[in-house]
Amino acid sequence: MSFETQQKELRDLCAALLRDGAVESVIGFGERSDSCCVCPPIAAKREKDAGKLAWNSRCVPNLAPYLPLRGKTAIVAKPCDARAVVNLIVERQIPRESVRIIGMDCAGMTGADGNPLRACAECGERRAPVADDIIANEISSRRELEDTRGEYSAKRFKDEMKKCILCFSCRQACYGCYCQTCFADRVLPNWQPAEPGFGAKMTYHLGRAMHLAGRCVECGACENACASGVDVRYIIRGVTEFIEKEYGFRAGIDIEASPVMQSCSMDDRNVGFWGGDERE
Amino acid sequence: MEDRVVWKRAPVIIAFLCNWCSYAGADLAGTSRQQYPPSVRVIRVPCSGRVNPIYIIKALADGADGVMVSGCHPGDCHYLAGNMYARRRFAVLKKLLEISGMEPDRVHFTWVSASEGTRFAEVVRDVTDKVRALGPNALADGGSRYEL
Repeated sequence: MSFETQQKELRDLCAALLRDGAVESVIGFGERSDSCCVCPPIAAKREKDAGKLAWNSRCVPNLAPYLPLRGKTAIVAKPCDARAVVNLIVERQIPRESVRIIGMDCAGMTGADGNPLRACAECGERRAPVADDIIANEISSRRELEDTRGEYSAKRFKDEMKKCILCFSCRQACYGCYCQTCFADRVLPNWQPAEPGFGAKMTYHLGRAMHLAGRCVECGACENACASGVDVRYIIRGVTEFIEKEYGFRAGIDIEASPVMQSCSMDDRNVGFWGGDERE
Repeated sequence: MEDRVVWKRAPVIIAFLCNWCSYAGADLAGTSRQQYPPSVRVIRVPCSGRVNPIYIIKALADGADGVMVSGCHPGDCHYLAGNMYARRRFAVLKKLLEISGMEPDRVHFTWVSASEGTRFAEVVRDVTDKVRALGPNALADGGSRYEL
């Protein structure tokens, strides 16, 4: 089985990195305590800890939010995690030289029931686009996907929002939500109504989607963290597709890129503007 | 026969106008006695780039029937590029609102310069007509806070 060979290779590599002092710590997945749990994140700091690193079909969490640790850190990264790390570097949140990306070839993670996770089923990425080391697997590089977007309607949005209990787990799990104070937690100005009604949920989810526009790496951490099974990612996914089509930008692919919403051009189209889409 | 839209009050449109062009344009529309509906509530902002997308989301969530944002034409921004950052932001926000099922005609972005009083009146007339055709904002559950 390919997971075992990858795991062995990963442990050997991390043991060597820690022994040589190339990195001070390795952020990776630990062994799970129960078959229904996800692998918890661990930081290996000594050579003997490298044997605790695990790689299996339940390495679900995105590890990028745990960066940066003190000193140079290696991170065990699925393709989505690696994109998240690259985007954090692009946004100047972590210096490039402080992190070593160990790219794991990934065929998708599974849920507790053994079925592929929703985000992984929709993901065509198999290898980290930017990585310092690659732990290879024989899986093909990219695969074709069927269209699972579904319809975009007010009813769908309202139905999803009905399930939301505003626990903000999606924000906590997201690599991109690193604001010191989230707009949803602000008291002045108070964006969120006290009553957890549709208005509060709409403000939170659309506001968060705006903040993640052009930054989402589609790791699915938000929907994996969601306790009530809200498809929180579908609106962000639509925006990600729009940005890719309109501005030719995908988050976390190019380490030299500048963030799409922090750049502008005279050649941009007036998409959706009053009076048409023409250039002025 | 399609449902007739019932209005029990005047539509409320929140307009974010940039200080340097569109606000002056609105001023010119007034001083040159251009006629436009009294549905807009103008909020003056330093630049269209100052308009946080959450302002627009919040306005809609709180029951505004429409939102319009207007700034200087691209290339004419008082802060050089503020309106071009805003352009990307608004294009994405409009797409986001479409995805979440908001009627596209509730939110409008446009460019009005300080000399375009006529254009400002035309925009307000057109936006008001479009919002009026859609009916009151039903996305906000609490109903409008702007009952008149």
